[in-house]
Amino acid sequence: MAPPRPGWSRRAQYGLFFSFVAVIAGLIIGILLLGLSLLAPNSFQSVRGAAIDVTAPISWALNAVTSTAGGMISGAGNYWDAAHQNAGLKRERRKMLQRMIEAKAILQENRQLKAALQLRERSRTAVAAGRIVGSSLSSLRRFAVLSVGTGDGVQVGMPVRSPDGLIGRIIDAGRFGSRVLLISDRSNIVPARMLRTGQPVISQGRGDGTVDLRPLEVGRNPFRRGDIVISSGTGGLYPPLVPIARVIRLDDDGAIAVPLADPANTSFAVVEAPYEPAAQAAEPQPLAEAP
Amino acid sequence: MVRSALSSGRRIGQGPRVGASFLPAASVIAASLLAMLPIVSTSGWYPDFGFLVLIGWRLLRSDPWPAWWAAPLGLANDLIIGTPLGMSVVLWSATMVLLDLVDRRTMWRDYWIEWALAALLLLLGETFEYWVASLTGSAGPVAAILPPFLIAIFAFPMAAWLVARLDRWRLGR
Repeated sequence: MAPPRPGWSRRAQYGLFFSFVAVIAGLIIGILLLGLSLLAPNSFQSVRGAAIDVTAPISWALNAVTSTAGGMISGAGNYWDAAHQNAGLKRERRKMLQRMIEAKAILQENRQLKAALQLRERSRTAVAAGRIVGSSLSSLRRFAVLSVGTGDGVQVGMPVRSPDGLIGRIIDAGRFGSRVLLISDRSNIVPARMLRTGQPVISQGRGDGTVDLRPLEVGRNPFRRGDIVISSGTGGLYPPLVPIARVIRLDDDGAIAVPLADPANTSFAVVEAPYEPAAQAAEPQPLAEAP
Repeated sequence: MVRSALSSGRRIGQGPRVGASFLPAASVIAASLLAMLPIVSTSGWYPDFGFLVLIGWRLLRSDPWPAWWAAPLGLANDLIIGTPLGMSVVLWSATMVLLDLVDRRTMWRDYWIEWALAALLLLLGETFEYWVASLTGSAGPVAAILPPFLIAIFAFPMAAWLVARLDRWRLGR
């Protein structure tokens, strides 16, 4: 089965034979490694973390270069047509000011109501803020690489969000970088609810940058185009009231939505402590979720 | 190859570059490192660059590296792109064994046969990746492997061209 004999040299023949034996050995070692990393996903945590430490700074540096170049181009574009933009922005600002005053009033009312109900307000602690510097390019899984790691207090299982919405949770942490499981990954299930009606739904990634929304109660499809879905905090891993996605299309018993936080355009991602610390310990194991 | 050897312009004493025997393996690692480009992809349809270059080298020559190097190269690829550890080790080692078998069976080789072989290996790779992904709790429709598979098929000629150029450069031709 080994490749054809390379002439009459014994040395070359033996060399070829041993390299053939070695590739079979490599295959078997690979199967063992794969089996171990499927059955016990946490067994290679330190090795994977170290690998992120080596690669993340390079992505980070490259990211800095491209964003600088991109910023110069878009910056030049902004000067073009500046007068129109200025007028438009002024109009928007006036509207936003009104909105903000309304929101402040609502916030105050909310605080009073909460105090009346004696609701315990959990303080949300931001552990670290970093940049998303890369992602899995050739995989069915959706990962992103974040530029903060255990050196900044990041641990596996912590939720990651941006000002726009939920991004995902940490699955590998190195010292200077970490890997985030995006909410658009198929194995990432987020308990959520609709902003309009408050109905509980479940968001699951579809692997192509969108998420699948399913209502918990069977019945009429509750979704409408443009509906916003926010996290409910059920399960305790993801904090509640974080925007997740906007519905773009309905299907027979649910909807397909686009995450509000686009990892490609997020300037800063904030890693938070798990909402309920117990949830971090009970991180769902991949094999337990498999059908 | 023959024509390039006969043509003039080749200086006397010009031979393989320093470290020519390590260049193929180094180029595979370099291709794996392309995954560190600061691109945030939402669909993940980019081809597995390391695997493409590995197939390119192995189809061009039967001895770009000792066959067993595929295992450590696969391990490096796994660590760089973040797939479950061992996935590329298995896939790349199996590719080397499979192509050794194919080398004994095929009577002749031309460009189309190589492309078809590469397509077969890429399909094998995508299916294997799908199987591993479904074991780690992200099972989806099988059709999800189709777009990246097609893109990889059409990316292969580019990888093969690049590998052929690199091979000529490293041998000083």
